[in-house]
Amino acid sequence: MKTKKRMSNRKKNIICNIAAVIIACVFLFPLYWIVINSFKLDSEIFLRKPTLWPHTFTLQAYIDQLPNLKVTLKNSIIIALGSMAIALVLSVPAAYGLAKFKVKGTKIFILIFLITQMLPASLVLTPLFLTFSKMKLLNTYLAPILSTATISIPFTVLMLRPGFLSLPDELMEAAEIDGCSRLRAFFEIVIPIAKPTVITAACFSFVFAWNDLAYSMTFNTKDSMRPMTSAIYTFMNQYGTKWNSIMAYGVLLIIPSVVIFVTMQRHIVEGMTSGSVKG
Amino acid sequence: MKRNRNKQILGYCFILPAVIYMIALIGYPIVYNWIISFQDATALTLKDSNRAFVGLANFRAIFADKTFWGAMAHTFIYTIGCLVIQFALGFAFALFFAKKFSFSKPIRGFIVISWMLPVTVTALVFKFMLAQDSGIINTILMNLHIIKEPIGWLLKGNTAMFGLIMANSWVGIPFNMLLLTTGINNIPEDIYEAASIDGASKFQQFKNITVPLLKPTILSALVLGFVLTFKVFDLVYVMTGGGPVDATEVLSTYSYKLSFQLFKFGEGAACANVLFVCLLIVALIYLRTISADEEV
Repeated sequence: MKTKKRMSNRKKNIICNIAAVIIACVFLFPLYWIVINSFKLDSEIFLRKPTLWPHTFTLQAYIDQLPNLKVTLKNSIIIALGSMAIALVLSVPAAYGLAKFKVKGTKIFILIFLITQMLPASLVLTPLFLTFSKMKLLNTYLAPILSTATISIPFTVLMLRPGFLSLPDELMEAAEIDGCSRLRAFFEIVIPIAKPTVITAACFSFVFAWNDLAYSMTFNTKDSMRPMTSAIYTFMNQYGTKWNSIMAYGVLLIIPSVVIFVTMQRHIVEGMTSGSVKG
Repeated sequence: MKRNRNKQILGYCFILPAVIYMIALIGYPIVYNWIISFQDATALTLKDSNRAFVGLANFRAIFADKTFWGAMAHTFIYTIGCLVIQFALGFAFALFFAKKFSFSKPIRGFIVISWMLPVTVTALVFKFMLAQDSGIINTILMNLHIIKEPIGWLLKGNTAMFGLIMANSWVGIPFNMLLLTTGINNIPEDIYEAASIDGASKFQQFKNITVPLLKPTILSALVLGFVLTFKVFDLVYVMTGGGPVDATEVLSTYSYKLSFQLFKFGEGAACANVLFVCLLIVALIYLRTISADEEV
């Protein structure tokens, strides 16, 4: 009886695993399609029957894009790093302050982050464009850096707060008794303990800015100032069917998200639920 | 007392910079957007510091505009279409991966990757897969003898909208799955055990235990999904550009078109404000549901 049940459990396990693998393969097919098509030749892309594996495996699409890439890759990195720096400097202390100092208005501040997180870029594009144009910030790195940081700040504040909440108060009190100021305790005790979540927050901020199209496309219209997202869009409008080149660009664009995702998957999944759901 | 006051001040020093930043770059622009929507703001008056106020002229202009009402309708069709698919499949995935088998957790985690990819790339790969010639989706459907001729998916209004919904669901399904998984994991196992001892079937357990206990999670998944889908911009802009012939124009892309292609900044701002009001209503409902659900 018992062995029979164990057998059926094993069978169930195998069936579920096979089903899960099939689901994953179908679901992640677009990802495979991006990568595999970036290694095809033009002529193979235009075959009436698309090939699942390239007949001739080539890096031609990447080589063709190299001159463009030098500029746009640099722009993307500068914008994403700048935005990440602003987001971290502002949101790590804010999340800590909202968790551990019981200041008046904590609820309202959390509400501000919750609401601003839900508002789309398209809402502030026109006013920001007019303001930035007056401040002569259009076609500079500052415009997309400043604006994309608004995507990650609320997200990371809400994501980091629960972790800080769970730090025991005694830790800070002990530090204070030892003559350590609260400010020093923040840098020397809190940050090191919270390092894994702070790194996750940094990754999210980087990826949010890296992935942005709306802000960068609107504020930076000069070719030399475009990041990869708006460059690939412009390229598509000009050479709509050069899919291998477009997909090669796509591969480079997804690399940061994929690398970060694979290396710190567990933290990301946790952070995503707490950052986007509740305060 | 003094120590407590110092603590309060230090607390504000930690919190306020981020709050002020958000107010400066999101709060103030929102107010400014309302001002622009009552002004004669076009390419000609862009550099003027005193633009003329024109009352409701911008709103009157967009309300008299057929494309605006089309965009409004498309935004709702798109949002509801996405919500139905995302939620149904996300729920199914959540239930399936809640089962205990060896690959359940790693594969569930891996699927989430589509949520983190740049929407620009998602839009491009779906555009590529839906292409009339050499698109993989047409090839598959023709091999299965579901269609005879290749379809120009993004070249006709209805099928273009369907393509957009499909692409967005690819991003939305894992998001819904994760939210619902968290909810499912919070349901204590012994409730199911007790129910199955009492002879309740799997379906009865789902109907009478899972769904009622998940109600708060389901509600927040739906409302949050609504907000995130309703504000769509990148996906539509890259995949169809609002075309063919405005058939997939949504509020955000139309606002963008008015401001940055036709340089009618006043009308673009007015259109964005309509989007804002719609989102605000739903956001307020959402905040009420989560604050009723748990203390912030």
